[in-house]
Amino acid sequence: MTKINRRSFMKTAAATTGSVAAASLMGTTAFAQEMRIRHFWWGNPSRDERTFNVIDLFEANHSGAEVVGETVGWGDYWTKMATQTAGGNMADLVQMDYRYLFEYVRRGALLPLDDYFGSTLHLDDFDASALAGGMVDGKLYALNIGSNSQVCIFNTRMVEEAGADAEFDPINWTHDDLMRVGKAISASTPDGVFGTDDVSLQAVSWELWSRQNGRNFYNGDQVNGTAEDLISFWEFWKEMRDSGACPSADVTVGLLGSSMADAGLVTQKTAMSYMWSNQIVGVQSLSQDIVGAAMHAHKVGGEAGQFIKPSMFMALTRDSVNPELATTYMNDWVNDPAATAILGLERGIPASPTVRAALEPNFSPAEKVSVDYFTAIQDHVGELPEPPPKGAGEVQDAFERIATNVVLGNVSIEDGANAYITEAENILFRAQ
Amino acid sequence: MKKSAFNSKNRPAYVFLLPWLIGFFCLALGPILVSLFLSFTKYDMVSDPRWVGLAQYEYLFTRDARFVKSLQVTLTYVVLSVPAKLVFALMIAMVLDKGIRNIGIYRAIYYLPSLLGASIAIAILWRNIFDHSGVVNTILLYFGIEGPNWIANPKTSLYTLVILAMWQFGSPMLIFLAGLRGISSEYYEAAEIDGASKKRQFFAITLPLLAPVVFFNLILQTIESFKTFSSAFIISNGNGAPADSLLFFTIYLFNEAFKFFRMGYASALAWVLLVIISIFTAISFFTSKYWVYYENERD
Repeated sequence: MTKINRRSFMKTAAATTGSVAAASLMGTTAFAQEMRIRHFWWGNPSRDERTFNVIDLFEANHSGAEVVGETVGWGDYWTKMATQTAGGNMADLVQMDYRYLFEYVRRGALLPLDDYFGSTLHLDDFDASALAGGMVDGKLYALNIGSNSQVCIFNTRMVEEAGADAEFDPINWTHDDLMRVGKAISASTPDGVFGTDDVSLQAVSWELWSRQNGRNFYNGDQVNGTAEDLISFWEFWKEMRDSGACPSADVTVGLLGSSMADAGLVTQKTAMSYMWSNQIVGVQSLSQDIVGAAMHAHKVGGEAGQFIKPSMFMALTRDSVNPELATTYMNDWVNDPAATAILGLERGIPASPTVRAALEPNFSPAEKVSVDYFTAIQDHVGELPEPPPKGAGEVQDAFERIATNVVLGNVSIEDGANAYITEAENILFRAQ
Repeated sequence: MKKSAFNSKNRPAYVFLLPWLIGFFCLALGPILVSLFLSFTKYDMVSDPRWVGLAQYEYLFTRDARFVKSLQVTLTYVVLSVPAKLVFALMIAMVLDKGIRNIGIYRAIYYLPSLLGASIAIAILWRNIFDHSGVVNTILLYFGIEGPNWIANPKTSLYTLVILAMWQFGSPMLIFLAGLRGISSEYYEAAEIDGASKKRQFFAITLPLLAPVVFFNLILQTIESFKTFSSAFIISNGNGAPADSLLFFTIYLFNEAFKFFRMGYASALAWVLLVIISIFTAISFFTSKYWVYYENERD
């Protein structure tokens, strides 16, 4: 047996740990190829197919132009985006989210689109309110490619079968209604099937609850939400669990981080799941029963919790090799009848009235649900909050973490709520 | 006698190491040095790194509760999984050493989990096995026990990963097997004649003679466990869920780097991990002279 030498071992240890060590600074620079642009988006199979079809269409309409499509899931998207930004090889066009837009603009990674108005980009008839979300310091940095809002998607069959007790007004219903309907559905469905998903772990639902109580969770880069509101939120959902309207806590915790295909509504383990309204179309394609769309239940005498936001943007980057071609592509994307017909409502409701009118006759039933919902909620939503501050993503992780302990009963609701507010404040402080 | 590093005895070793050395110096060394530099900066990958001196380390050691939690999780995992895995591997190796027919097939079969264990598919399978209605609970139900969702429960989730680690006993098993083969049968024959029991033989002959191999496996597996990443990443949704019970050091590091874009802080964490692993390895080396006996080392 050979003796293991101490020094050689240190080398091995150094190398193996080094491979864990963070990123290299090296990156490749995109080679200028004038007629070849890159488009990068986060997607799902249906979105990817539609987008690649639009790319084919664009290449057919513009001879010599080439568009390279790159797509990954949401989880990996921002990592790849940050890496490409650091390496100076961002795609010409990137899909942007409201949450990250300001950060990227502030760092100079995106170019304003104003210079291309009237030449390659025609947005004259677009809804001003829909475009406003993409403005930073009075300039348009990101083009809205669809709007959405929060939504409670429900199984129409289960609601119907639960009878009179489960009747509700999907736009104006209240938390009491939700509890009644949830219980009625749990009672009329087989064992193990419940009225609604439990949203105790969902930061989006909690922030919405906070707005119903008159407070945006963030105010600038400060925490504005209160522990009292959070206590009432978790207490309400505890009551829902205790009354049998939603599944037990460990089922909910087990679904953390799962995809749309695992949502209670899709697996038929519950009759209601909470998502973003552009996902109605996708959920319907995964569901056996017809789905309907309801607002999040309201607080009696409270304020509007929901808001309409740009679900996604397309933005031009500072690394673009051919901004004219890129903005031409962008223009076709939101104006060309053939392209917009391919894209449909998958990314949200289009900002151009012309496009909406052209799409209408060919709506699928799910698209109809989606558009009707969008129209119905217009007067029931509040103002779009400011983009969340830096560190908000981390605050959401903290929410999930603390909420897990709360619903499992490892931490009391009061302690959990106080711990969360403190932690959120610390995270924001550190992130600025 | 003074030994040169490149004397003729060592030369073949260096030749065999060459591909690795080239890789290390050409590919790994640069990023390693850059990460040392970055650990003294604030760097979010979009703006340029900003020098902050020791601030990252200061935060790490004085104010970061999640860092402490991640150490706790990782150390618990190492302390539980390494001995469990080694004992299990040695047991199987001893069974296989008894001269079973078609030993090659068994060796391959038992080695398989080590190849698969770190894969994404197995991690997803693991989630399902320990799920609310998974295999484990289905079996428990036969005995009238209604099991929880083992992975979703912060109190049990880490143990599912310890079991996963145990199941990947293949590579230490192979090394043990080679070690067992190296023990001369004369010792056992002599012991047999003296009337020593099997248990006595194991503790008086097998274990002492196997000590260098145990030592080698111990160090390798300890380093391996500290670096556990992919299966924990999948099982914990990439962020240490549920409730940070699977917040391995590497997961925390990954999140800091690629989710929150704190490259400076993540680099500092990486260097701290290097130091921690070094300390553990040093302890092993330091204590080894008291329990590792080399047969060819006659004083």
